[in-house]
Amino acid sequence: MTASHSPFLLVVEDSDEDFDTVLDAARRAGLKHEIRRAATADDCLRLLGEWERARLPDPALILLDLNTPGTDGRDVLRIIRQNDRLRVLPLVVLSTSANPRDVEFCYAEGANAYHAKPVDHPAHLQVLEEIFDYWIHRVTLLPSSY
Amino acid sequence: MTTAFIEPPPPWAGGVYSIKRHGVTLTNCDSEPVQTPGCIQAHGALLVLRMSDLVILQVSENARDFFGAAPEALLGKSIADVVSADGARRLRDFLGKEPIDCNPIYVFTQPVADAAVPLDFFVHTIEGVVLLECEPASRDTPDYYALVKKSIARMQTAPTVADFCRAATEEIRSFTGLDRVMVYRFHADFHGEVVGESKRDDMESWLGFHYPADDIPKPAREIFKKIWVRPLPDAAGPPVEMVPLANPDTGRPVTMTHCSLRGSSVMYTEYLENMGVAASLTLSILCDGELWGLIACHHLTPTHFPYQVRAACEFMAQVVSLQLRGAEQREALAYRLRMEEIHNRLVAQAALDVGLSSLTTATPNLLAAMDAGGAAIFHSDLWWCVGETPTEAQLDELKEWLVLRPEFLSATQPAYVTDSLTRDFPGGAALAGSASGLLAAPLSRRNGNVVLWFRPETIQTVKWGGDPSAKPMVPGPHGPRLTPRKSFELFTESVRQRSLPWQPVEVEAALRLRLLLLELVVSRSDQLAEKNADLTRSNEELDAFAYVASHDLKEPLRGISKFAHLLLEEAALAEGMNRQRVDGLVRLTRRMDSLLDSLLHFSRVGRATLQFQSVDLNEVLAEALEIVAARRQEIPTDIVIPHPLPTVTCDRMRAREIFMNLLANALKYSDKPRREIEIGCVPLAGETAAAAGSRPVLYVRDNGIGIEPRHYELVFKMFKRLHGRDEFGGGSGAGLSIVQKLVEQHHGSVWVESTLGTGSTFYFTLAADLPEIL
Repeated sequence: MTASHSPFLLVVEDSDEDFDTVLDAARRAGLKHEIRRAATADDCLRLLGEWERARLPDPALILLDLNTPGTDGRDVLRIIRQNDRLRVLPLVVLSTSANPRDVEFCYAEGANAYHAKPVDHPAHLQVLEEIFDYWIHRVTLLPSSY
Repeated sequence: MTTAFIEPPPPWAGGVYSIKRHGVTLTNCDSEPVQTPGCIQAHGALLVLRMSDLVILQVSENARDFFGAAPEALLGKSIADVVSADGARRLRDFLGKEPIDCNPIYVFTQPVADAAVPLDFFVHTIEGVVLLECEPASRDTPDYYALVKKSIARMQTAPTVADFCRAATEEIRSFTGLDRVMVYRFHADFHGEVVGESKRDDMESWLGFHYPADDIPKPAREIFKKIWVRPLPDAAGPPVEMVPLANPDTGRPVTMTHCSLRGSSVMYTEYLENMGVAASLTLSILCDGELWGLIACHHLTPTHFPYQVRAACEFMAQVVSLQLRGAEQREALAYRLRMEEIHNRLVAQAALDVGLSSLTTATPNLLAAMDAGGAAIFHSDLWWCVGETPTEAQLDELKEWLVLRPEFLSATQPAYVTDSLTRDFPGGAALAGSASGLLAAPLSRRNGNVVLWFRPETIQTVKWGGDPSAKPMVPGPHGPRLTPRKSFELFTESVRQRSLPWQPVEVEAALRLRLLLLELVVSRSDQLAEKNADLTRSNEELDAFAYVASHDLKEPLRGISKFAHLLLEEAALAEGMNRQRVDGLVRLTRRMDSLLDSLLHFSRVGRATLQFQSVDLNEVLAEALEIVAARRQEIPTDIVIPHPLPTVTCDRMRAREIFMNLLANALKYSDKPRREIEIGCVPLAGETAAAAGSRPVLYVRDNGIGIEPRHYELVFKMFKRLHGRDEFGGGSGAGLSIVQKLVEQHHGSVWVESTLGTGSTFYFTLAADLPEIL
């Protein structure tokens, strides 16, 4: 596998504190990957579009916060899963609550996992660490075509 | 003609009737042949002529007083022998030209034989014979036309029937000069009422008096439909018999219906005599072909009713008949407008109120407009009464009967109207005092809402003319048998348990008020529906708001938690006091997180749609027990299920959550070393409850700490806890609010019974069926 770029993660998260926690958890999980952030759903779509046009590789994993300002995380999920190229990307949804309707929606729309973000900081860190541990260290990801 | 029952044959059977011979032996005034009385009054003479040759067939026995010849001397002679050849020729001309069948017309005035005064002659034909009446000519008659013209103008503008009748009596009395003139009105049962009167000042007033129907018996009423004027100038005068009694050509008595000289029934002359009346003049009032009433004129001394007076009176009778409807319509219109105005005010007044109680309690009320003794309205399961009404228990019984009446189903006139409730309603006799008459209209058949007006028994409300209990009966010369007053007792029997009838205008007004009340009720239920829709909307908005708020509040809370933990890591080295504070910060974030979770859950309960299905509650309970199992193990717990739970239609997930919450509470709020929780159903589970159609009442009973009665409502309030935050394992205080919401979504209810220190029982019902619509 030869890649002109090292694999990276895309995190869609509007809260600076939460993004900081993501970075913290990635560090604790011993993640080597670059972590790129989209602060809004629109940012996310814009970045994905740019990378496609520049024939740059796609992220190895997308962490999507469901409640984002502007375009809703649910719309991002739907758009990604309707795109022939992006639909295969592993996508993990993070949300404040485990509303059954949201959970059902996300799985129906092709999310790979749904996690509620605990308010308690240590619990939050732990959830994120476990996500990274699982998705980066244990799961076989897509071979990057770039 | 057939007779339905056997009567003894009248004394004149097989012969011809004569007042003079048979009048005093009368046994039934309704069978008296008043149109063929065989006699005339003494103040004139009657000749019956054969139509073809004007030969005298019959003549009154007083012929000598008028024509100077004995009756027998005149029979078979030509009329020319009485009125001269010239008179006979004029009479013949008259017969050929004028419409005189059943219509007496004045022919001429002419001296006859050696009579002191000339005679007025009147002629009409009937049943093939010519009836020639004569009486002494009148002199010095005033201009009746001018008098009558003035009278008409006055009556035309009378606003009410009473005013109209008073005007008519005053006008007639002014040009006749009689002692008393009355308008006598027939009610539906033909009993009469004096509704207008003009009289000499020294005479007692009879205005407002009611008289039994027998006072004017049916044969008399039939005659009054055919003639306008009935003169009886000397009631005590002797009856004068016809010679011969029967027409020799036909063998039949002469029909005197239209004769002004017709002999009067002994019944009537004695009636007048009992009242001290010597002369009477009676005019008919006909409306739409029916005998509406009479104008009865009395004079205390014998008098004369000259032809001109009779003609003027006939004209007045016709005018009164024509104008009476107008007066009735004017009065009904005024009555209707008054009722409508008051009813509008009633409804406007009721609209400001919550119920309909103001219809009876406020001023004006249901009695203000309608001429009734009492009124009642049944609404919101309560009776509201005003005036004289039956008791509430009687009203209940009456209402149950009324709502099944076919009249209530009528699309055009949904009203039950009677002047004799006892005729239809089995329990009517007991109500007769206040409710002989009933006007009832349904407001809603389903709830049995009705509005009722009552009228008392007639006998209690009217003055009876000649009431034998009020003054001693005056026996007639032929004994009490023949006085009309004898019939009084029979009559009172016939009007017992009857009221005055309801006028059409009153029924219309009641129906109109009914529509106004229905509109009011409908507009109220519209308002209620609108408010309910508003409430539903605002509840939904509140749920959405709670969801968004609690959801979005979590994000900053996560940040606070993060910073608190970061501080905590650094403060590990710092002073104890700071560490405690940061610890507090962490604890508060956790507590707030749990509150937000509850709020989110609560809002979700409100927003989701229920899926009703047949659910075995035993399965649901087993699942709920499993979920709370962890808690059960902390302290020894006995779970008791005395009877299997029923199967009900409900949302399975929610039913489970109800049990979970109640079980969790039962486990949580306990101070006993061994917990006991009983789950059951009252009164019965299984098929019995389903067969009974009743909603099963489920309960969860514990032996826990119990709740004070004053807190029974409080425990269901959101986030309301009765104990310290960390007592009994903490908790957000949302559990029972959620239970209440879930139960309400099933249109059920939840309540608690408890003894402090002993334990609580939470009861709830689940009913999947929609609540009954108004």
